[in-house]
Amino acid sequence: MSPITIRFSEESDQECLVSWLLQPGVLRWFPLTDLKEIEDAARIWIANAKYKACLTALFDGEPCGIANLYLQPYRKLAHQCLFAVVVDEKHRGKGVGTKLLGDLISLAKERFQLEILHLEVYETNPAVNLYKRLGFEQYGFQRRFIKENGQYLGKIMMQKRL
Amino acid sequence: MLEDFDIRYSVPEDIECLKSWLSLPGETDGFAFDLEEMESALKNWIGFAKYKASLTGHFQGVPCAVGTLFLMPYLKVAHHCSFYLAVDPDKRRKGVGTSMVRNLLNLAKTRFRLESVHVEIFEPSPLLPILEKQNFEIFARQEDYVKIDGCGKARILLEHFF
Repeated sequence: MSPITIRFSEESDQECLVSWLLQPGVLRWFPLTDLKEIEDAARIWIANAKYKACLTALFDGEPCGIANLYLQPYRKLAHQCLFAVVVDEKHRGKGVGTKLLGDLISLAKERFQLEILHLEVYETNPAVNLYKRLGFEQYGFQRRFIKENGQYLGKIMMQKRL
Repeated sequence: MLEDFDIRYSVPEDIECLKSWLSLPGETDGFAFDLEEMESALKNWIGFAKYKASLTGHFQGVPCAVGTLFLMPYLKVAHHCSFYLAVDPDKRRKGVGTSMVRNLLNLAKTRFRLESVHVEIFEPSPLLPILEKQNFEIFARQEDYVKIDGCGKARILLEHFF
């Protein structure tokens, strides 16, 4: 039996999310800089848990990753949404991201009847390969999106029709 | 007409102008929100007036357009922003939109020291030729991003670099 299980996220998972975002190197792939921004973003992220739009992966019963659907607040956009995912560095390379995203895609399609799922990822992020493998295709690229210590990174925009 | 045209910083009361223009049939088609969702969306929009990030155009002393820079909340992305623009339907095709876009670009560059400004439009949009004239370049096109009465419309993202 796989040691990875998935459940709906709970408000208490916010603490894990903050700790994973604080792991070395992780913030390179997020627009966040300091603890205040991280806590703010984590609060918005976990707020989706009350709609059951947020999934937590467990490895041998311990939280090891979170994926979240940012459900759109407007009716005209309600058929599609953006998502985000983060995996504890201790559990990378074990299939956690793949399992989380597979379940998130099913959740998007079956529970929320979404037609399009899209994401934003910064150039050079190796996660692009996982997204391609899962059938996401690039529809845009915004250069110089991130600026950190005078260095820029572009943003790749990808989507998948469900 | 532009001889009688003037621009000032927006004030919270300008929300009433936005409400009256966008309440007309079809006027919310260019925005993510619909008529029923407009109230809270416009409150968020005009909220940027407190940062002096919003401009109101006047014709013969009467407001005829509101354009607003949606400043980014995180440091790593604070070097760019998006904007919204609404023009009184009775004052279109007179150069108001062009003047508002030019002034918003100037505000972004001189007051906020931004490096670029981007905008999201839904196809078809009367803003597209104005943006192209101001050297905005398309960096993403997402089919069926918006759905109005079951009909999908593309969103186009454009950016102007200073």
